[in-house]
Amino acid sequence: MKGRWSGPLLLGVPTAFLLALFVLPLVSMVVLSFWRTENYHIVQDWNLGNYLTLATEGAYVTFLVRSLVMASLVSVICVVIAWPVSYAIILYGGRYRLLFTLAFAVPFLTGEVLRVIALQGLLGPLGLINGVLMALGAAPLRFIMYTNVASAIGLVYLYLPIVVTVIYLSLLNFDARLIDAAKIFGASPARAFFEITWPLNLFGTLIGFALCFIPCLSATLAPRFLGGPNGTLYGMAMAQQFGESGTWALGAAMGVVLFLTSILAVLAVCLKVDLRRTGFTGFGRG
Amino acid sequence: MKPHESHSAAAQAAAPASSSVDRRQALKTLAAGALATVTAPYIRPASAAPTQLRALMWEGYLLPDVIAGFEEKYKVKFAPTFFDGNSEAYNKLRVGGTKDFDLVQADGFWPSLYFREKLIRTVDYAKMPSTQHLFPVFKPDQYKLLTDEKTGVQFGVPFCWGSYGTTYNADQVPAEKAASIEVLFDPEFGGRLSTSARFEENIALTGILVASRMGTIDKPRPDGKSFNPYVLTDAELDGVEKLLIEQKKLLLTRYQDNATLEQLLASGAVVAAPEFAQVYRLLLAKKAKGEIDTTFAHTLVPKEGGLGWVDTWLVSSGVPDGAGLDVCQSFIDLMTAPETMKKIALASGCSTTIDIRSLSTPEEQKLYLMDRTGELSKMYMFDQPSSTEKWERVWSRMQAA
Repeated sequence: MKGRWSGPLLLGVPTAFLLALFVLPLVSMVVLSFWRTENYHIVQDWNLGNYLTLATEGAYVTFLVRSLVMASLVSVICVVIAWPVSYAIILYGGRYRLLFTLAFAVPFLTGEVLRVIALQGLLGPLGLINGVLMALGAAPLRFIMYTNVASAIGLVYLYLPIVVTVIYLSLLNFDARLIDAAKIFGASPARAFFEITWPLNLFGTLIGFALCFIPCLSATLAPRFLGGPNGTLYGMAMAQQFGESGTWALGAAMGVVLFLTSILAVLAVCLKVDLRRTGFTGFGRG
Repeated sequence: MKPHESHSAAAQAAAPASSSVDRRQALKTLAAGALATVTAPYIRPASAAPTQLRALMWEGYLLPDVIAGFEEKYKVKFAPTFFDGNSEAYNKLRVGGTKDFDLVQADGFWPSLYFREKLIRTVDYAKMPSTQHLFPVFKPDQYKLLTDEKTGVQFGVPFCWGSYGTTYNADQVPAEKAASIEVLFDPEFGGRLSTSARFEENIALTGILVASRMGTIDKPRPDGKSFNPYVLTDAELDGVEKLLIEQKKLLLTRYQDNATLEQLLASGAVVAAPEFAQVYRLLLAKKAKGEIDTTFAHTLVPKEGGLGWVDTWLVSSGVPDGAGLDVCQSFIDLMTAPETMKKIALASGCSTTIDIRSLSTPEEQKLYLMDRTGELSKMYMFDQPSSTEKWERVWSRMQAA
């Protein structure tokens, strides 16, 4: 496969794919964000009005702050749950490790909408939890009915399998003999974990965090079905611009801001963390 | 010669010319084949009978058994795409949807907007005999919203109708309170109210209440026309925003679909909610079967005024004359046939524009408002907001408050 064309072909296909399906839509969104809409009509009138609206209209800033807080909380919760689960699979999974990991991927076989609606049924006034409580004569748990807590539960449920899979794969490639070496030299299990296992799997953990954080930032379904009247997040408000309100230009500007926020969040993590010490091998051996 | 090229020059020379296929030829053949495969479904004479009928419609009107029969008879595949609100469908049509859809549904003033913008085309009532069964108020001579003022041609067929009235738990909410829009803003029912997630109807309905409170509902309007809750002044919109923010803390949730509202009302978690009377009828059916004990009632038009709608079937402007149009009109004819309409009424809980009294019991006639079609004239028809940008800001500020 090392013909004259194999290199350009192998690199060309993904490049064309990225250009067509990522760069071009992004450019068109950036262009649209500098136009405006008027009663469902796009007016090609170059201006900064949409960005001015986003910066000065408190509502959109509130949506973004709510989303940042929600995404951070959900990602931290996912990592906190995923670590012991993945570690337990690695330590005690034996020959069933792969089965356990695949079991975590089972929810992906159903659609996201289906999973959120199922959760709505579970957490709602007639759901399993409140239904059982009321049958036992107890008061229903109002904080899980159409609240931000319900949204957070929904997002954790949606993205936990991804974080578990990523951390599991990181641990799978981790050389466990390093822990034995640390113990031989007198390190306690806790010290071996915090000085060997955790730092050398930090990059995998960060990838898991990012794969949860970024979609949570633009989450639409969970807040829509579970969030209630006070649960509007940035992604939901952005989807509204492209849906019934038809204010596409403002929606495009919201999309650009979301993209930049995601990039900044990832950059901030990269700057704070020394990737060479985290198990990241992407820099080569130089 | 590269290492993996094992054939000798002699062997190559000996091979017959006709059977040798070089890489360039193979690639050309593959490319041509792929191109033919990809484009074949789209290269069809315009007059050819369609193999697919694509509809942009409300999900509640889908009847699988009726659709299956139509597919069998006309040898076409019915491909529906669902939407929630008119503006969503309008957006889809405007961004090239006339090429993606053959049939479209809309209500109120929206079809006339579609026709003005050439998103839909004219239809021929003579090709749809079921239209003879329309109630008089929905026939073209009385119902003018589907007729072009200039040419007098029709561009849609009325299908179902209703209001955006209030369904309430009659054991918990007194009828006199439920007769007003105020009930949806009453702190007495805090935490037990719900409204739909659709921003247009929330703002328009609140607009009626605000204009009623401000006394501007009967006063001369800036545009010289009579009051339309979809054309609100800035002062009225400010009032709407304040009222919606006050209402927010009284709401359990904004329901996304009828199934959710039905559950919320049936469980007693919600005692009053504005809706299209579909859930109300489904709840009454449940009560009749003994599945629930609660008594529900429905205010069709609140005393301040209410919103009304007439769902219609439209044909996209992308459908040419000939076989394509014929299939579309045959489909509309089937969907508006009295027998089909009866099934739709029972399945979706909607009042029909087709007179199905001969197929209905006296109870059904009362429940589906078959003798109250005249009340439609008292309602404000669903319309396009005067400024979607201003309405969007009101809605966003309320959501963020």
